[in-house]
Amino acid sequence: MNEIVELNLHDSKVRLRWQNFLKSLDISNFSDKEVEKIDKTLGIYEDNQLVATGSLAGNTLKYVGVCNKGVTQGSRFNTIVNALVNYLFQNKIFHIFVFTKVKYSTSFQHLGFHELARSSEGTFLETGTPGIQDFLAEIPQISNQGQKRISAIVMNANPFTNGHRYLVEQAACESDYVYVFVVSTDLSLFTTVERTSLVKAGTGDLENVSVINGNDYLVSYTTFPAYFLKSTDEEIEYQTTLDAQVFKTQIAPFLNIKKRFVGTEPLSKTTKKYNEVLKRELSPEIQVVEIERLKSKSQNFITATEVRHLIQENRITAIESLVPAPTYQFITDNQEQLSHRIQEGMNINGN
Amino acid sequence: MEIKQTAVAGTLESSDIQIMISKGTNDFEIELESDVKKQFGDQITKVITDTLKQLGVTSAKIKAVDKGALDCVIKARTIAAGQRALGTTDKPEWEVL
Repeated sequence: MNEIVELNLHDSKVRLRWQNFLKSLDISNFSDKEVEKIDKTLGIYEDNQLVATGSLAGNTLKYVGVCNKGVTQGSRFNTIVNALVNYLFQNKIFHIFVFTKVKYSTSFQHLGFHELARSSEGTFLETGTPGIQDFLAEIPQISNQGQKRISAIVMNANPFTNGHRYLVEQAACESDYVYVFVVSTDLSLFTTVERTSLVKAGTGDLENVSVINGNDYLVSYTTFPAYFLKSTDEEIEYQTTLDAQVFKTQIAPFLNIKKRFVGTEPLSKTTKKYNEVLKRELSPEIQVVEIERLKSKSQNFITATEVRHLIQENRITAIESLVPAPTYQFITDNQEQLSHRIQEGMNINGN
Repeated sequence: MEIKQTAVAGTLESSDIQIMISKGTNDFEIELESDVKKQFGDQITKVITDTLKQLGVTSAKIKAVDKGALDCVIKARTIAAGQRALGTTDKPEWEVL
């Protein structure tokens, strides 16, 4: 019988057996950064041998590996995935993701998972509720959207600057309707609620612009952790490809998005790579329009990073010329709290 | 009766069915994954909707992952998930059985 046990990866012996078992199945990334994210690991032993395992990190299934020797194909796999999803259900988590190799995608689909994106390196699937269809159904649309020129921008806007505003204006000029998706992951100096409300306030006068929360599907911590953490080039490549594919195959067709606007990226390595991957993956169906970044009076590119540094250095007045009025108002009103967050260790050098 | 929360019953093991019920906008929206969908898809859908109607549910979103469950199992799992979603597990609906 397939009896499930919990594996304690802090026990070095258990960890080594677990790691060797997965290595034999061609799973090889055991960097501390990845393993530390795991909340729970389950396994099945047979004759004192580990024959199946799977882990959870938040609402994402990880390190699922199964040996089918001597048993019905899929039975151990179903048992282990079932145990993992039931654990999440008991904790009232009903929306579940998995990143896996292309060859395992079908096995997950047999258990009700839906493929959201696929690259040569891997696939990204989800199950449960609310899924991507629920997310898409809630996005407002204009009449006759199918015949209109629709564009999209994805931004973290940490905080919303004149540079962002310029990018939105350019897109609004060239389109009938523009979706501005704001990154929903709350790992930035300005909280998601703050960032979203500043984008809304800063674009309120543009009638053909709609500001939407990007949820788990656009540059989120789920699909694109490298945006928030220091990462290797391979990780960035893998994650940005899947992120671009989710946009291309799920979001853009539903909303008839034909153009994606991005700012040129002179500074951040991750964002630069992301822009390159977007161009490669989205064309020809979706045109990636790269807009030269706006420069300030002193001929420097306007970046949110600079704004955050000025907050840290308490040079608030220098921010006024870099951001729209609502953002400036917010920063002056909440200066103390923002400085406090920086002192508490909030990283302000990322994206 | 109104669905109060998302709820699940059942497993992904062979001969079972996993049913997830959440709030729906109108009528029953059923998404079924089954290896025998071609042969029994309509029957499975019918058992689920009939059972939910008996529980007094008029609209819901249902996701079902079938692993070859018999009708009695489908019914039992639907009742369990349904009552959990309605928040009425303390008052079992014996008549529905």
